[in-house]
Amino acid sequence: MRRPSVSALVVITGILLLADFLIVNDSLGQLASIAVDLAIVIAAGAALAAVGSLGLRRGMDLWRRRGDPVGAALVLVGIGSVLVAGLRPGSEGAADPAVRWILVALLIPIGATLFGLLFVSTLVAARRSVASRDPAATLLVTTSLITLVLLLPIGDAPGGWLGTAAEWSLEVPIAAVFRGLLMGVAVLAAVFAARTMLGISPRDE
Amino acid sequence: MSERLRLLARAAPLGLVLLLGLGWLLPEPGGLSLGSADGDAAARVETTLDALGDAPIVAVGFDPDVGTYPEIRPTVRVLLADLVARGAQLVFVSLTPEGRALLVAELGRLEAEGTDVATLVDLGYVAGSEAALVSLSRSVQAPGAPEALQAQLSAFGLGAADLIVVVGGNDLGPRTWVEQALPRIDQPPTVAIAPTILLPELVPYVESGQIDALIATPMAGASYRAAADPGGEGAGADRPPDRLTLLLGMLVALAVVGQALGARLVPAIRLLGRGERG
Repeated sequence: MRRPSVSALVVITGILLLADFLIVNDSLGQLASIAVDLAIVIAAGAALAAVGSLGLRRGMDLWRRRGDPVGAALVLVGIGSVLVAGLRPGSEGAADPAVRWILVALLIPIGATLFGLLFVSTLVAARRSVASRDPAATLLVTTSLITLVLLLPIGDAPGGWLGTAAEWSLEVPIAAVFRGLLMGVAVLAAVFAARTMLGISPRDE
Repeated sequence: MSERLRLLARAAPLGLVLLLGLGWLLPEPGGLSLGSADGDAAARVETTLDALGDAPIVAVGFDPDVGTYPEIRPTVRVLLADLVARGAQLVFVSLTPEGRALLVAELGRLEAEGTDVATLVDLGYVAGSEAALVSLSRSVQAPGAPEALQAQLSAFGLGAADLIVVVGGNDLGPRTWVEQALPRIDQPPTVAIAPTILLPELVPYVESGQIDALIATPMAGASYRAAADPGGEGAGADRPPDRLTLLLGMLVALAVVGQALGARLVPAIRLLGRGERG
């Protein structure tokens, strides 16, 4: 069994926050506030460390000429551009016009273009799935085809019928499948959390 | 595949772009509608907004993601325009960097379109995910806000808001707000806008009353836009989704996938029919 010091910390913090949620007490509130502020600082530090690590990794890729040098250079140029625009003297930070321009004129259109390409690649993938003669793939594509018909932007009475059927399909069968998945994920998360708190690792099994 | 078919397949994406461009340029014919069958979700949003007093404080949790934001963008823009028209004081906060990036763009658009910047308070990006929400529900520091609002936010945190609007994406969305913030600030009226993928996990919160109104399908979004923006002019310079272009794209998808399915299923059905006759 692992040393349960981290697990104990998690349990104590969890109980503190829960107690603060249920009991009105100033001292408890202040303690919980410190725990929450610490979590925020740690999260901010982790985010900065992640960005630094990405930059360093791509820099090393470029330096040692390994992996994808063009991709690495683009990542570094992207990070550098936003940092310079947001941190240069006199800049308004994230609200600076230069940062906004990078976001509005570059980042968002590039993102939209990539997702626009999904239209073509999804159609190609659907055709290939059907061609694979896999019954599950055929069922998947047939279902998506039916959903597509239900979502056709038609007005008047036929559109109303299609809309009702589309809403029903989203809220009943599709929601049932999704909720089943969510419940499975929740059960796994609960089991994993309990194992973490009790300090049980795979080696203990 | 013959040479002609190969050329046709290569030219297909260009043809698709041209077709969609044509749909975008042509005037929209009648008989097309994106609206939902009953418009219940839209009516809930209107009822929630109508119940607000004069100059309400509206906290907007803005965390969509780049991938799904186009689905909800027209509705978000009309809702923001609707709130501004109702004299609301909007307090924006993002808990994800992606949401922050999109918020910066939206705030820039609102300012460029002449929205009174005094009604827009930007709390920026707050790190810490769930912990940040817990912290915001206790107290909010808003140095750029008018003094009275600053005092209210500092004393009551998000609890100072008369309405919570959550614009969700793949990461921190309405579910997180329901779990971490709303119970701590006495469940103020809450409106959520999220992509369809989040509908299954959010519907129970609507049924239980923790979310007053949810728009999570393109149909519900279209119904709300039709109710809030009867002229269909969109918000400011924003152009609402073009129904003809959407229809053309969907018909192309139906034709391409339907042809593949037909080629796969028709011989199988014929074979089955022959077998039964035999």
